[in-house]
Amino acid sequence: MLKPFEKIVFIKDTNAVKADLTRHYAGIFSKYVRPLIEDRKVFVVQAADLGIYGEGLVIKIWPNNIYYANVKEEDIAEIVERSIVGDEVVDRLAFSPDAKQVRVVLRNCGVIDPEEIDEYLARDGYAAVEKVLSSMSPEDVIEELKKSGLRGRGGGGFPTWMKWNFARNVQSDQKYIICNADEGDPGAYMDRSVLEGDPHSVIEGMIVGGYAIGASKGYFYIRAEYPLAIERVQRAIDQAYEYGLLGEDILGSGFSFDLEIRLGAGAFVCGEETALIASIEGKRGTPRPRPPYPSIKGLWGKPTVINNVETLANVPVILSRGGDWFSTIGTETSKGTKVFALTGKVRNSGLIEVPMGTTLREIVMKVGGGVVGGKKIKAVQTGGPSGGVIPENLLDTPVDYENLRRLGSIMGSGGMIVMNEEDCMVDIAKFYLKFCVDESCGKCAPCRIGGYQLLGLLEKITMGEGEEEDLEKISLICQAMQKASLCGLGQTAPNPVISTMRYFREEYEEHVKEKMCRSGKCKRLIRYEIIQEKCVRCGMCYINCPVEAITGSKAKGFVIQQDKCVKCGKCYEVCKFGAILIGSKEPVEHRI
Amino acid sequence: MAKQLTEDQLKELVESVVDRWGGRPDALIMMLHAIQDEFGYIPRRVSLYLSQKTGIPLAQIYEVITFYHLFRTSPPGKHKISVCMGTACYLKGAPQIVEKLKEILEIKEGESTPDGLFQLETVRCLGCCGLAPVVMIDDKVYGKVNPEKIMDILAQYTKEQDSK
Amino acid sequence: MARMKLEDLRRKREELKARSKETNYIKVGMSTCGLAAGAQETYDIFKEEIERLGLDIKLKKCGCLGMCFAEPLVEVALEGLPTVIYGKVDVATAHRIVDEHICSKRIVNDHVYELHIKE
Repeated sequence: MLKPFEKIVFIKDTNAVKADLTRHYAGIFSKYVRPLIEDRKVFVVQAADLGIYGEGLVIKIWPNNIYYANVKEEDIAEIVERSIVGDEVVDRLAFSPDAKQVRVVLRNCGVIDPEEIDEYLARDGYAAVEKVLSSMSPEDVIEELKKSGLRGRGGGGFPTWMKWNFARNVQSDQKYIICNADEGDPGAYMDRSVLEGDPHSVIEGMIVGGYAIGASKGYFYIRAEYPLAIERVQRAIDQAYEYGLLGEDILGSGFSFDLEIRLGAGAFVCGEETALIASIEGKRGTPRPRPPYPSIKGLWGKPTVINNVETLANVPVILSRGGDWFSTIGTETSKGTKVFALTGKVRNSGLIEVPMGTTLREIVMKVGGGVVGGKKIKAVQTGGPSGGVIPENLLDTPVDYENLRRLGSIMGSGGMIVMNEEDCMVDIAKFYLKFCVDESCGKCAPCRIGGYQLLGLLEKITMGEGEEEDLEKISLICQAMQKASLCGLGQTAPNPVISTMRYFREEYEEHVKEKMCRSGKCKRLIRYEIIQEKCVRCGMCYINCPVEAITGSKAKGFVIQQDKCVKCGKCYEVCKFGAILIGSKEPVEHRI
Repeated sequence: MAKQLTEDQLKELVESVVDRWGGRPDALIMMLHAIQDEFGYIPRRVSLYLSQKTGIPLAQIYEVITFYHLFRTSPPGKHKISVCMGTACYLKGAPQIVEKLKEILEIKEGESTPDGLFQLETVRCLGCCGLAPVVMIDDKVYGKVNPEKIMDILAQYTKEQDSK
Repeated sequence: MARMKLEDLRRKREELKARSKETNYIKVGMSTCGLAAGAQETYDIFKEEIERLGLDIKLKKCGCLGMCFAEPLVEVALEGLPTVIYGKVDVATAHRIVDEHICSKRIVNDHVYELHIKE
């Protein structure tokens, strides 16, 4: 049996963007401790990521859990002497990594085997059900939720206790609770991860909710595009039935609750409450006007509470640890944590959970490790197709429901997309709008026609045919859609357009007036040119141009004929020497 | 995938689906999912038989089929290529992948190749944004795809077909 | 397992808690994103190697660990070594983890990812 090392040193250059000096530093460190390595006293590891960014050379020593940051080469000898040979801490270099992430919703994700109910039980699973059924009245449960300050995580941010209380107070022979897992926002996958990683916590939340409002039946509405989530939730439901946590007379308490899965079928609008209800009833998922709200008249005309996956996953923790504890996390108006799917041009894309009130900049820089390739961050988009962009200069805003709304975005379900200089804001607005236009159910005119017209105008602008009055028209259509659409989809569909116009109006104007796209995204507005100084005359662009827009010869060099060029980008793709320039502005003399 | 069934087999299949859900109108979407899982699409004669068995009007069945993107009324290709058009994938080059696929397969989105081998679809976020851009072929997800890589991936499927 | 009453649940949970403090496991993140990045292949390698070498290590599955950029993710807890999360564990890296981490008690270079999380 090999003797384990007494100490292990993890080394990482946390400034690394392009050139990573980790190996270099590890080499130096190893030189100092070579004899100790041979005695199996210490082992040096080059880490890939220590969860710390922009703090220079970081060294972590196990088992003492000492962290050093911004270490210089000349400090290494001292660290070895005092902390490796000895057991002291070099105070001037000591660093305490600040845990930005707090896991409440994701407490079990990545920890337990989601297919084993026993592993969930061992992590205090179903303790909330136990507590609620043995010692709390439905009113107590709602009171505890009120204390916690939990608000809906699906986007709107409506206080969960109020929703439950409305349904509780309606007299009815049958009530329902629905888990909305129709996560359709592009760029968001929190719900999928929770359902795949910890399905029992959501089931537990639903049982508690059913008890609180007096429902004996619950539905999981899961999008059919998530086969693994469906499989794991079904398995979890089966296990819960087997253990007596679902069905008749749960745990001998007299409370009965049944749970069933219903699948979506690829309609984004079904995330909207009333459309979702129609879909569970087996109909087309078209929304209806509210009121009456589902809490009063929902599924089959009965009082129905619809909660999002993340909201429900919070419920068991609130009941087991108390609403007071939960309300210590977060800001004045937004309690608890929020899970975000951090993606786009961020270095470490992933699923993160931070306390409400964390700033966007902290999320991108400290949790996400900054922008890819060290490029400049341009904006962060939250709330998906119903949200908006937040420009770089406002990134120090603490994230909560009110702040995001004030900035013209929304919390949404938790997609957070980082954009850099390469992203065109008009193009982004067009992308999101296209999504909503495709997904419009067609029932009401402002959404169906307004969306289509708005998209037409944006397309015109990105094609370089925009006129100045188009910008005015865009604003008018946006207002009409916001005010007159029937449901949330149509009302929020113009948000990405409004917010990009608010913060990046100059980009719209450039597209319209100067026929230019500064990011090079809008193909019709860019031009390709050969940089003669870099060109080695290999002729690859000449051979590959599909429209013979490149003329010349290996002897004389090559030129792109702008009038023939279709801007397919083929020459740029095949050039191995970086000799093709993407210019975003057409020189004046070339203009027609 | 798409199956050729005799009239009796087809009826038996529809009946088992109807039995499982008690023929309840609210389970229409679930029944359609079960049928599509078997056939790869929802053939008209199946809809007709389903209507007869459950009493749900054919018009209502079609109303639902045509509303939801996932339901198909024509047979799919052997391999379904789904290019993710979620935001992260879009930003990281999914449109170029679609262009490439259209070019080499000579079909548009939603169509199948004449030999029935491939069907091209663009889909909403597949939830693998960390691996963007993502392409899913049948149930297998390929991450960090680019126009060159997609050629290699497709080649595996055509090779497999040729060797049969 | 028969349907439980309140006290059965309590007892069962205590039993499970007492049992759950084990080390010596390899845990593979197997959600959609992990599987897309090749977690099944990684899992299979560990399974084969554990059997082949007769190792006393439990192989487990878990959901998303959050660091999607570094999938497939594998957590290794072995007595006498810090519990580490390895990222980008392809087939070759899985073999290295078995050879170096499990058999030689040395942490594998360039694949350690650390998260700072408060629970």
